[in-house]
Amino acid sequence: MFYRESGDFKTSYIQDQQIFPILQDRVFVIAVIAFAFLVVPFLINDYWEKSVLLPVLIWSLAAIGLNILTGYCGQVSLGTGGFMAVGAYASYKFTTAFPELNMFIIVLLSGGVTAMVGVLFGLPSLRIKGFYLAVATLASQFFLIWLFNKVPWFYNYSASGQINAPERFVAGIAVTGPNAPPWATYLFCLILVVVLALIAKNLTRGRFGRSWMAIRDMDIAAEIIGVAPLKAKLSAFSISSFYIGIAGALFFLVYLGAVEPTEAFGIDKSFLVLFMIIIGGLGSILGSFIGAAFMFLMPVLIKNILVNGLGWSTDIVAHLIFMIVGGLIMFFLIVEPHGLAQLWRVTKEKLRLWPFPH
Amino acid sequence: MQDIVKEDDILLEVRNISLSFGGVKALEDVSFDIRKGEVRAIIGPNGAGKSSMLNVINGFYHPQEGQIWFNGQLRNRMKPHQVAKLGIARTFQNIALFKGMSTLDNLMTGRYIKMHSNLFAQMIWKGPAQREEIEHRQKVEEIIDFLKIQSIRKTPVGKLPYGMQKRVELGRALAAESKLLLLDEPMAGMNLEEKEDMCRFVLDVNEQFGTTIALIEHDMGVVMDISNRVVVLDYGKKLADGSPDEVRNNAAVIDAYLGVSHD
Repeated sequence: MFYRESGDFKTSYIQDQQIFPILQDRVFVIAVIAFAFLVVPFLINDYWEKSVLLPVLIWSLAAIGLNILTGYCGQVSLGTGGFMAVGAYASYKFTTAFPELNMFIIVLLSGGVTAMVGVLFGLPSLRIKGFYLAVATLASQFFLIWLFNKVPWFYNYSASGQINAPERFVAGIAVTGPNAPPWATYLFCLILVVVLALIAKNLTRGRFGRSWMAIRDMDIAAEIIGVAPLKAKLSAFSISSFYIGIAGALFFLVYLGAVEPTEAFGIDKSFLVLFMIIIGGLGSILGSFIGAAFMFLMPVLIKNILVNGLGWSTDIVAHLIFMIVGGLIMFFLIVEPHGLAQLWRVTKEKLRLWPFPH
Repeated sequence: MQDIVKEDDILLEVRNISLSFGGVKALEDVSFDIRKGEVRAIIGPNGAGKSSMLNVINGFYHPQEGQIWFNGQLRNRMKPHQVAKLGIARTFQNIALFKGMSTLDNLMTGRYIKMHSNLFAQMIWKGPAQREEIEHRQKVEEIIDFLKIQSIRKTPVGKLPYGMQKRVELGRALAAESKLLLLDEPMAGMNLEEKEDMCRFVLDVNEQFGTTIALIEHDMGVVMDISNRVVVLDYGKKLADGSPDEVRNNAAVIDAYLGVSHD
């Protein structure tokens, strides 16, 4: 009853351009962020860190990255896993080569390296579109993973072929390595995710975001307006890869700690992120978070209910999870093909007129 | 006398344009000019090469022969987005709006070439990017007022009825504040009332903003009423060029439209 848009009049363009134009939304989001920063670090334990919070944050970041490319700019990519691997290996090389460097800088640099690789693999997008581009990006996925397996320089000639995250500190507190406290790794990721999500939102609501969406919706019309397709597509590829690279770096440094490329960054990861943005909502930053949470937490939730709650055996549950999650994906896509974020938008539209239907 | 025109009165001139796709000749040796501040109509039966002509002017097609002079300068081979920067905007025959975006965003996108804040300013938003956004929002709001589309400002354009979409597309082209506006069948598929509205907008744009307009239209009533000069194409060739009255009484034009009796 109190949550609605009507009566909330805007009297300046600044007010009209806010990320959350509805007062209640703003209050809620600020409350959530405050809770995440001020309360969660004191409650967090190993289980919540490793099984829920870190992966959801990291996958959200990857989903934002892919959403910029696929949701906003309309370029389908199946190379997400490969680009995450680039981020991971770049961060590995940076941490080992420059042990004194600040971890935030290392992570951002890894994103930068991935952005450059992304531009390189984005070049075909100027010639090919749609499914054909998806197949072309698939090549980058397999090529990059092959590269990290084959060239020993990338894993510093270690005998196992794996890379391991060395222990590194931010302000004297370990954020990587086995001894890092859960709250530190959590806060490290949270800061990056919140800042980067805000930047993504700013980019997508401004001039760059509109040029991407113009290319997505009608590339011919975009061109006659003055959007250079080369610039728009490659900037989308680079910024998208920047985000995905950072997600890959965090996935390796903070979450996994040790990585074998085929296992950690395989094609299944590319599809996982793609499903996240389809379920969450293409062209929506909020949708990236919802999608990542849905795709990652739903199996965890079902497993908890069935194994811990009902006492079923784990192997049956593991198979059931595939079926249930698959069914839920289909259900949501039928109910709302534009993703969960759209479901939320529609609810808001309805609430605008509530309780009068017309 | 219309024929005595100073050189710098001409905004755009196409000289001896020939365009072919393989064996199909879309345009053959077509020349005409568009003067500053006029409403210029391009007419002709279906397949006459009207849209091809606009595509040549826009830079989508590159003619095999011929020259394009814009603002007194010979134009090199250009891509469409470079042509946009010169100051040529256009609408399409079948609406080419950005369907996923709101009316407001479509119009804001129309101002893309006028906006210059860099990537880092955009990332931070507060400061230069926001100032620029507000400045351009004001311009866009003026166009929204002009076209009387205030009520659909935030509506995704995919949901709008056809006539409104045409209007938004005109708005997007206007947002670029171009020197030359190309309208490809702006009134196609509209009812009488919508046509009258659109005619009014076209004339107002011409008079208030001083924008030069070149339009393709099939409705002869509209063409004769609103245009200053008319060029007629048929089978890729220029049939006639002149004032609406001259064109109306031109024997070749009547033949092309009504057919010739072969006796």
